[in-house]
Amino acid sequence: MSDHGCIHLNNFKAAKGIQPYKVIHSFFVTSTSNEARVRKAVSCLCHTCKSYKDRLHSCLHCIFFGCYVKGHIQEHAKTKKHFLAVDLCYGNILCFQCGDYVYDRELLVVAKAQWSETAKSLSLGEFYRTWEPSLYEVELLKKNPRRRRVVENSTIGLRGLINLGSTCFMNCIVQALIHTPLLRDYFLADRHHCPQPNRCLVCEVSSLFQEFYSGNKAPLILHKLLHLIWTHARHLAGYEQQDAHEFFIATLDVLHRHCEQYSQVAPLIVKDNPHHCNCIIDQIFTGGLQSDVVCQACNGVSTTIDPFWDISLDLGPTAGSGGPSSGLSKEGGGAPTSLLDCLERFTRAEHLGSSAKIKCNNCQTYQESTKQLTMKQLPIVASFHLKRFEHSSIQDKKISTFISFPEQLDMTPFMSHRRNGNNNSAAPNGLHKNGEDAAFSDNRYSLFAVINHEGSLETGHYTAFIRQQRDQWFKCDDHLITRARLKDVLTSEGYLLFYHKQILEYGRNSKV
Amino acid sequence: MKTSPHQTLVKAGDRDGLKELLRRRLVECGWRDEVKLICKEIIKENGQDITYDALLAMVTSRARSRVPDVVKKELLQKIKNQLLAQEEKLKLT
Repeated sequence: MSDHGCIHLNNFKAAKGIQPYKVIHSFFVTSTSNEARVRKAVSCLCHTCKSYKDRLHSCLHCIFFGCYVKGHIQEHAKTKKHFLAVDLCYGNILCFQCGDYVYDRELLVVAKAQWSETAKSLSLGEFYRTWEPSLYEVELLKKNPRRRRVVENSTIGLRGLINLGSTCFMNCIVQALIHTPLLRDYFLADRHHCPQPNRCLVCEVSSLFQEFYSGNKAPLILHKLLHLIWTHARHLAGYEQQDAHEFFIATLDVLHRHCEQYSQVAPLIVKDNPHHCNCIIDQIFTGGLQSDVVCQACNGVSTTIDPFWDISLDLGPTAGSGGPSSGLSKEGGGAPTSLLDCLERFTRAEHLGSSAKIKCNNCQTYQESTKQLTMKQLPIVASFHLKRFEHSSIQDKKISTFISFPEQLDMTPFMSHRRNGNNNSAAPNGLHKNGEDAAFSDNRYSLFAVINHEGSLETGHYTAFIRQQRDQWFKCDDHLITRARLKDVLTSEGYLLFYHKQILEYGRNSKV
Repeated sequence: MKTSPHQTLVKAGDRDGLKELLRRRLVECGWRDEVKLICKEIIKENGQDITYDALLAMVTSRARSRVPDVVKKELLQKIKNQLLAQEEKLKLT
């Protein structure tokens, strides 16, 4: 079928132009203004049977709406001899003389422009469209006729990394980042454009993705990446053993700062984030942590929301463990044994104690208070850091207790609106405001990477388990990549755990 | 005049948003590709000149049955939410 319409449509266009189609489209197919939407709601009914569905069509010649399923638009066409109609669901043109829908290039362009305008008027970003290669892309595809097909047992995307002398901390983080689904999609779609390709870390990461997916199986040497990290995050320079967690955060920070510097508007903004930064790192890794401090005298709540990239979880027994959150909790308890335990503890209201009185904004006096952390906004990739390395004035030690973690994780119980509902009394209208969209959102995550530390505090070795192609697991030990079972992953010690959100929501101001 | 739920959603622009969400979900879960393949097959069997109506008659039930339950559930939930939210707004004004 061609996209040059038909003789009947061409005759119509010659007589009346494209304006009739444009008007019908902008009011009744995709309404481009509020006024149009009201009109559409009120008047888009079959003039014969008053139905609003059943493939409603509008006559292109006069003001008439009729449904197709019960034959009312056909009837109109026959009696009035108005042989062209517009389908009001998709905007396609039906020619009764040809007996089918016809495609017209000129009108398709009109329709496309209207879609964009509608999306804009609803602040929905851009509506989805199937990919149509540009002229440049057509050229590229012609020049490179070989296609790579990813089959079930394909090992594409897997490459070992040479250890450059205690750089396993870097290797395992690189493996985790390379196998972060959304980050992979971003880089393989060539979304990073850079004015300074030589010194840019993001470009280096981008070319790394190309290397991983080139099909070459030889292990990679990350000397350039290492050098760039050393230049941008000086505290990591040198050939000493570094902490993988520290390296992870430093890497995100360097990438984020790079992206910010040369930022361009990202076409698809995945969700609000508290950083107000559009860079790919923030879109994927940033969440918002809500902290509620409740005054014990007047019950006044002071709430702050801070961005986070990862969540560090205490593993020691509840009372008197090290770190800044050493305050006593309401319920004392043993050490946590699962990730859920840790998260439950992390989001539990804790009493700040009598020695830490805080000035309450509500009653303006210094009072004892409780503090509670909850998830206000979940990131797309949730990274958990199990604090296995304990540093205190007495001794440094590694906690090797087994902490179980699930393959599928639902974060709903740790969301602000849920937690506050059960515990301290949050303002009722605040609760409602969150509840509206948050209560029905899907907060399920699935595990896609685990980083393990083997050995002691002084000498140890990092390895990573990564998921590839939905449900296959591999162990990455520097240059060695071996197949692993899910059981091996779930029974490993676990130092850094990476979870990916299962369902993504679209659009920043999306009403949906 | 009493407005129907359909009209309420059209007016607020929710229907466009929901339609877009549905479109993307169907693409994500592979439904669109599946249906495309079915259509291609039918066109191959019946020749290029098959009409839209004939194609539709052969594809509809197969295509419908392939829509995943999760997608239906999500849409239903979101439609409910939007209608409830619109109702709230009416009460306030």
